[in-house]
Amino acid sequence: MTVQPQASPVDNEVGGTLGKRLTTFARSPLFHGDAQVLHDSNPYRRMLVPDSVAESDFTLPPRADQWSTHRSLVAHRLLGTFYEADTVLLPEQGLADLHDDFDLFYGPGLRRIRETSVSELERFAFDCLDDAVDVSGAGTTEILDAYFQHVVTAAANGPSPALTAIAEARDREAAADLYLVQLALDGLTEASAMSRNLAGAYGPEQSALFKIFIDEFGYGVYDAKHTTIFAKMLRSRRMATHVHAYWNFYLGGPLATNNYYYYLSRDHAKFFRYAGAVTYAEAVFAPAFVQMVKVFRNIFGDSVDLHYCDEHAHIDEHHGRITREQVLLALADRHGSRVVPELLRGIAEARLIGGWFEDDTAAQIRWADDLARHRELAGAASIAVAPPLRTVLREGHPFGTRNHDGAMVLEIERGEADLVTTPTGPPERLERGDRVLIPAGRLYGVRSVAPESVCLLHPVLTGG
Amino acid sequence: MTRVVVMDLSRYNTVMVGHDRYFVLDTDGRRLLVRDHCPHRGGPLSLARRTPDGRRLSCPWHGTKVGVAAVRRTSLPMVRSGDEAVVLLPSDTGPAPVSVIHKEILANLPPEEPCAADGLVPPAALERDMNGEAVACL
Repeated sequence: MTVQPQASPVDNEVGGTLGKRLTTFARSPLFHGDAQVLHDSNPYRRMLVPDSVAESDFTLPPRADQWSTHRSLVAHRLLGTFYEADTVLLPEQGLADLHDDFDLFYGPGLRRIRETSVSELERFAFDCLDDAVDVSGAGTTEILDAYFQHVVTAAANGPSPALTAIAEARDREAAADLYLVQLALDGLTEASAMSRNLAGAYGPEQSALFKIFIDEFGYGVYDAKHTTIFAKMLRSRRMATHVHAYWNFYLGGPLATNNYYYYLSRDHAKFFRYAGAVTYAEAVFAPAFVQMVKVFRNIFGDSVDLHYCDEHAHIDEHHGRITREQVLLALADRHGSRVVPELLRGIAEARLIGGWFEDDTAAQIRWADDLARHRELAGAASIAVAPPLRTVLREGHPFGTRNHDGAMVLEIERGEADLVTTPTGPPERLERGDRVLIPAGRLYGVRSVAPESVCLLHPVLTGG
Repeated sequence: MTRVVVMDLSRYNTVMVGHDRYFVLDTDGRRLLVRDHCPHRGGPLSLARRTPDGRRLSCPWHGTKVGVAAVRRTSLPMVRSGDEAVVLLPSDTGPAPVSVIHKEILANLPPEEPCAADGLVPPAALERDMNGEAVACL
């Protein structure tokens, strides 16, 4: 008797549509989540909310002004997972209990989906930048530097919406922690994207980039590595330090920002764009961390370890100078005017996406900090006549977060549940009949605290 | 020294640099800041209409056809992000005063309908445009 090999779900889906492939990926046991709000120390498991992947329309790429939509969040969660699967992630406590997860995360099944989907998913997530940013006219090194200096000065002189939101919050500690979590996305795996542009042979500019890289890696001293001192900062706030404890709280804007540097560095045709982007980032980091230190000291006094911020406020002065002089302008001088538009584009795109990080974080802080008012707003909102979306939640049900393209009124029809909007702030207890307005784009999760609860989601009519 | 001019494209579409005028031309989904100056006698290309094939601008003064590709080459360095345009005036534009204004621009309207004689023009009737390409419907 001949036994026919059985096709695995992965085999069936690698040739399907992007949406089907991504749904298959998200339905891996690694990505189902569990009942906990925070993820355990297991870098391979992260909640991708498979049902929300399945409902996303991957034939409709978000425009640049739609960065806070649900499908954008879903895409960037997936893309971030794809990219991190190209890095080495090992749990601090050792693999002993996690070897099966390691095998699954890096194994051929998921890898095939990643490899057949990543380019298409990148186009879905980032093609909007082509429409959002134009670079035209004859570029020269002088033009490049003038633009760079202009945008960096504007960033240094402008307020940070996110830090302003923290300073103005009622619960400033929870707001500050939410901000730290957004930084953790990169802070716990820092410079991983940059590492992809270190190989090859491109002269003194390569060595300049390497100088920054070795700073990030603490000159080979683990205790000085930026990820290590970032973890110290989290620890001083009594927060978890493993990759990615706070996965459920990463917002779409910060995810897109982090993914952007992977996106550019995965494709060396975009090297000059990467050089522009990283130069912009290094230049704006130093003043941003100076501001962050002020805000955090004001809130926490000396109880928070800000070595990470002090280090960046100092070293990024150097990195800003090195990238400008020895990477950005040096590349333009060496390779001529034809590369200048790409260098300019990288600066402009990094600036645009950095704005998403700030705006998303600020909006989440302001919403999560003012849920009482959003209970009132829910009462006044005009909701659609159509039947609401009904979800049954049980105690111990996997916890995940999501957002919506439009505003929604969340109502507890039965039972009792916690509305979770921040990683460390107290959840908002919702009883039967309670309603709260969830603005478009805001991230939230709901946990039943009764054996069973039923949630209703009422779409808010535009202008309602 | 390069000068920087920031322009809100939702409000403005033209930059004056001394006596030179530049307007925002939409082409292939891109917005460029191009010189508002026909190379024939200096007519305002911002008031030109596109030829039916969309590839040329028909100057309102003498009907000269100017290839969009040629117009693109007159563009000033500009980086647009959303509605914000950062215009970078090269040092060779000198210290001339700069202002941004809004004016009517016809060059971004859809191409004009083909003329009745389109496709029926005998070769002898064709003229040469500023790129040396044969054009009709003058």
